[in-house]
This record gives sequence, C-alpha cells and structure tokens, in this order.
Amino acid sequence: MKVIKENKKAIKEAVKVLTGGGLAVFPTETVYGIGADATNPKAIKKLNQYKQRPFGKPYSIAVADQEMAEEYVNLNQTAKNLYKQFLPGPVTIISTGKHRVAPGVESETGTLGIRIPAYPLVIDIVKTLKKPITATSANASYQKRPYKISDILNSVSDKNKGLIDLVIDAGDLPRNEPSTVIDTTFDDLIVLRQGDIKLKSKNEILSRSEENTQNIAKELFQKYEEYLGKRPIIFALVGEMGSGKTQFTKGLGKVLGIKEEIVSPTFNLVLEYKKLIHIDTWRLQNPKELETLRFLKMLENKNMVIAIEWAEKVADLIKNCRDQAVIIWVKIVYGKKENERLVSWNII
Amino acid sequence: MKILAIDTSCDETAAAVTENTKVLSNIIWSQASLHAKFGGVMPSLARRMHEEHIDFVIKKALTSAKCIVPSVDTIAVTVGPGLAIALGIGINKTKQLAKEYNKPLIAVNHVEGHLLSPLANPKSEIRNPKFPALGLVVSGGNTILVKINKIGSYETLAQTQDDALGEALDKAARMLGLGYPGGAILEKFAKNGNPKTYPLPVPLIGDKVKNRFSYSGLKTAMYRLIEKEKPLTKQKIYNLAASFQDVAFEHLLQVIKFRISNFEFRISDLLVGGGVANNILLRSKLRKLLKPYGITLRVPYTKKLCSDNAAMIGTAAYLKNKNAKKLNAKSKNIDRSPNLKLDLDN
Repeated sequence: MKVIKENKKAIKEAVKVLTGGGLAVFPTETVYGIGADATNPKAIKKLNQYKQRPFGKPYSIAVADQEMAEEYVNLNQTAKNLYKQFLPGPVTIISTGKHRVAPGVESETGTLGIRIPAYPLVIDIVKTLKKPITATSANASYQKRPYKISDILNSVSDKNKGLIDLVIDAGDLPRNEPSTVIDTTFDDLIVLRQGDIKLKSKNEILSRSEENTQNIAKELFQKYEEYLGKRPIIFALVGEMGSGKTQFTKGLGKVLGIKEEIVSPTFNLVLEYKKLIHIDTWRLQNPKELETLRFLKMLENKNMVIAIEWAEKVADLIKNCRDQAVIIWVKIVYGKKENERLVSWNII
Repeated sequence: MKILAIDTSCDETAAAVTENTKVLSNIIWSQASLHAKFGGVMPSLARRMHEEHIDFVIKKALTSAKCIVPSVDTIAVTVGPGLAIALGIGINKTKQLAKEYNKPLIAVNHVEGHLLSPLANPKSEIRNPKFPALGLVVSGGNTILVKINKIGSYETLAQTQDDALGEALDKAARMLGLGYPGGAILEKFAKNGNPKTYPLPVPLIGDKVKNRFSYSGLKTAMYRLIEKEKPLTKQKIYNLAASFQDVAFEHLLQVIKFRISNFEFRISDLLVGGGVANNILLRSKLRKLLKPYGITLRVPYTKKLCSDNAAMIGTAAYLKNKNAKKLNAKSKNIDRSPNLKLDLDN
C-alpha cells in the first residue's frame, strides 16, 4: 500500500494502479471512496474481497460526464432531467444497465447506479483511464463512514489493508452525507397504450368533487350489475396520479355494501374485500406479474368486482380476459378547475 | 424469553433473535444497499428472493446472536398484513422449523410489530410505557393512530382514508422526478428548501372532530402545483419537497393534537414506529408538539427497527406473551392474513 498526497502526480499514479487491476482509495465530495476499474472482473473480485460484501449488493460507478454514462446505461427522460439538475454532484442515479461492466457491478435485475462526482481529481482519473471506476465508500460494509484515512485503516484487518494498492490522502474531508441515490428505472415501465384505451366521447361525465366521482362509480356499477353472477366485472381504471382512481373504487365499495375503508392498494398491490378486489399495478415491474398475484384465479369467482388501477400497464392481459369477464375501461382526466375530472368509460 | 422472529411481509427478508425486549440480532436482506432501494416490486421476484435468501438470513441472525434454534424458547412470524405470496414463505419456513425443533410458534401482526418497535432496545429492560399510551404507525402501507390500553388492546383513533403517509411522500418524490420510492430522498432534498414557499392546503382542515387522515387531496394539489411550476429547477425541487413534507406532517400533527387535548385521561408516552418514524423533521415536530403536554416521544433506537424488520416481531411476540400463563401459540392453525387489521386480531 502506497500513500501519496493529493496532487497532479496522484492522477498518474492512480491510473497506473487501476489499469493493473488494483484498488485505489481517493477523496470525493462526500466520503473517501475505493476505486477499481469497473470493467475488469479481476479488479471487482478484489474489491468484493476488500468490502466483504454480502451477495447481491451492486456498486455504483463514477464516470466523467453524461456522454460517458450513456455508454453504460440507458437514460430515460427522468434520468436526463436529473443529470441536468444535479450532476456533477453528490447524487447517484440508477438506470437500466447496458451490461458493459464486470459481473457484480450491476444489480441482480441489471440496473446500474451512476455518479459524476463534483470533485475534479476523480473526474481527471476517469478521463485519463477512459473507463469508469467503482464509486463505493472505502470502508468495509457496515463500518464507519470514512472521512479521513485513519477511519479506513482502523476498521479493516491487516489482510484487507494489503488489498489496497494506493491511497490518495486529502486530509480530513468535511462531514458531508453519502450521496443520495435516485432510482429512475421505474419510469421506464409506464408504457401508455393510448391505442388500446381510446374511449368513445359520448360516455362521458364531468365530476366536480370526490363524492361525484364515487357516485359515478355507483351508477356505472348499477348499469352493468346484471352481468354479475354470470361473469365477474373488471373496472380497468386509467388516470394520472391523484386523478381519483381510489375515489372511484370507494364508490364501488359503497354500492357493494363494504363497510371497511377502501384505501390505496399501492403498497400491498392487492386488497381484498368481500365482493371487491382492489389492485394497483403501479409498482409492478412487469405486466406478467399480475398473474403471480393470482389474477386468473380471481376471475373464477363470477360474483366478484375487480378494480384495477393503472390498468393501461396490464392492458394486454386484461384484454385476454374478454371471454371470462365484463371489462369496463374507465378513464379519469384532470379538468380545468381544481376539483374537476372528466370521467369516460367504455366496454371493449 | 429468547425468540427467533421472521418477517417476509413485503420485499425484505428479515430474521432476528430477541431476548425479552433486547435485540440480539436483526438481519434484513433486500435487493438494496442500506441507503437505497433498487427498483419496484415484482411479486414473483419477491417470492423467489424470499425463498432464496430466507435460510441465509435466519442463519445469519442466529450466528450474530451466538445462538442455535434448539436454544430459543419460541419462534414468531408475521402473518399479515402484507403481500400474500411473500407472507407465505416466512410462515411455511417457521412452521417447518417449529415442527422440526418442537418449538411453539407465535403469529404476529406486522403493524403491531411497528407499533411496539420503540420498546425494543439494546439493553435488557427499559422503562415500560404507562398505559393508556398513544401509538402511531407511519409507513409506506400504514398511517394509524391508536390508543394503547395495554399491550394487545388497541383502539383506532384515526387512520388514513386513502394513501398512507409514507406512500404520499414516495409519490410526491416521484412527481418531482426523484424516482420511487423516494420518501427518504424527499427528506434530504427538503433540507435545502424553504417549506413556506408554496402554500399547499393542509388536508381535512375543516374536520371539527379529527378522526381520520387523508393524503389524496394533498397529492392532487401537489400535482397541479408542479404542473404550474414547470420547468423545475434544482431550487424549485428543494422548495417543493420542503413544502409538501411540511404540510403532510402538519396534518398528522393537527390530528394528534386534537386527540391529546380531548383525552380525559393522562397520557405520558407516544410510541411511533414505521419507516417515516426515521424522518428527523417529523421527530422534532412531534417533540415540540408533545412537550407542553408532558408526553415523551418514543421512537425505535435504530434506523433498522423503523423499516420492515423482524426484531420488532420478536419484541411484539414477547410483550404479548410475557405475562401469559400459556403462550398464545397455535402452530398448526397459523395462516397468512394479507388484510389483517390491528384492532381486530385480539
């Protein structure tokens, strides 16, 4: 292990060590990080050994700029906005990876966290190396955050100290928090399929309040109630966040005589009541996951009403149930005034 | 009473060993590092992950506590509320262990675990709360204020009608383009913002009797506000985060304040559990509110006890059974109960 001061020579030294598959400790605007060439499997293996990582824990990587980031991850609009606003800076942004890094760097689901540190030394190292380096804190997992070199050296065994090839010492770092990690991969999955859910304009009512929306649900239910017993009824709800999909379902709950409070199923994914199943697909990563929630089993009960929020995400699956269930697509859009919503529906 | 506890209610596989209220180990496996969550929920993946990791997590909990299954007195498991297919993994595993080692199995309500999590501690005994006490669970799936008559006997004073507080914070972060779930990110960014920049409406401010929470209206107001403020700048995001968080907490505080000032009995403790109990601003606002009433705020002693974990399940199992002549264990009849309610399970 070689310890050097932070200066121009440090860049050259670091690049030499990293090219050879070694580990280098370096300062950043948050804490001391430990870098390895993120594309070199041998270097990552060594890093795993040093960090004593439990399995399944990915590393984020430091790149020089957005252009370099795009060599390794796919950036969606959310990610691009965040890059513009917060990078370089103490923020790690997770996107879907392009699998161009060594195994174990991306997460099990193929996502990868990117850092562009607001610390010129790191940027210079990455630029000279022309490869991304891991941007993980230099402590072993679950140990103290390293703000000075002794924080690191006091918390690792002699054996692990031997794994560090180079230390760039910049003295005491200000006590800044570790970087904020933002996951943008979620936004990839909301694929609106307008074509599938175009609704005729005549089935349209203006709601002026939450109660209005609930009453529209009641009336819609009563209109199609006769099918119940022959086939289950699916209310496929489409609408922006806060448009009133849960309010609509509350109305269904009332008309079905459910006494319990109907609340948002976002967290639990499915909430089951006596005659009503309330599903929220928003957090699902893959439409097929609806089957795992025993959706097809739910359809076997011909007396069941099923309300599905963010139904556009599982449009194909719902369409395939056409023979087993009555499917009512309900679209709720924001109106001009504060409490106004345009509710339209159609049986497809 | 030494307990091996397991919780697989959502997307974290958790196991812990507790001795009375002392936490000997508390192991949580998630796809995430301690600071971040990677991705949303995939039920089939969640199930597979639980299946793959449960043995490892249990083993780790036991070795960290320097303990083996034969030396625990009982096993405890979360039966609900939660994701049905995830709950099943923990229940099946504990049933198998209970049978193999001939140990009693205690069913625990996940929300009750959060509620009693402030009573878990690194030492062996701490001051018990005086009953009746107040309890608040604020997480991604729950927002509920209860009167705790004694351990195991709860009266709901207020609960959410729509979104949970943690969910609302996560969704606000999402609307600001900060990913999901982003409640913790919102808290960080709010520190750089001015909470008085945007006058968002405090939910249900017109309620004379404050016996419910609601976050859907605030969510809508936030959506409209963001649309109006676009394009967003860094500082606007900070200010929006601060304003939203402030109003969301203000609503919570108004309901709690109403309840406290309308009690005819003396309350000396407020127990707060769940992921949002981690929020520093919420803690300081609660302390300020409680001070004039002489009420002590009791929050979990570590961050790990706020998120979904199993040490809170072991603690709840102990507290519920410590004075019982016979353990409330019904090993064979335990089944998952995804919609389990707090005040209906006793």
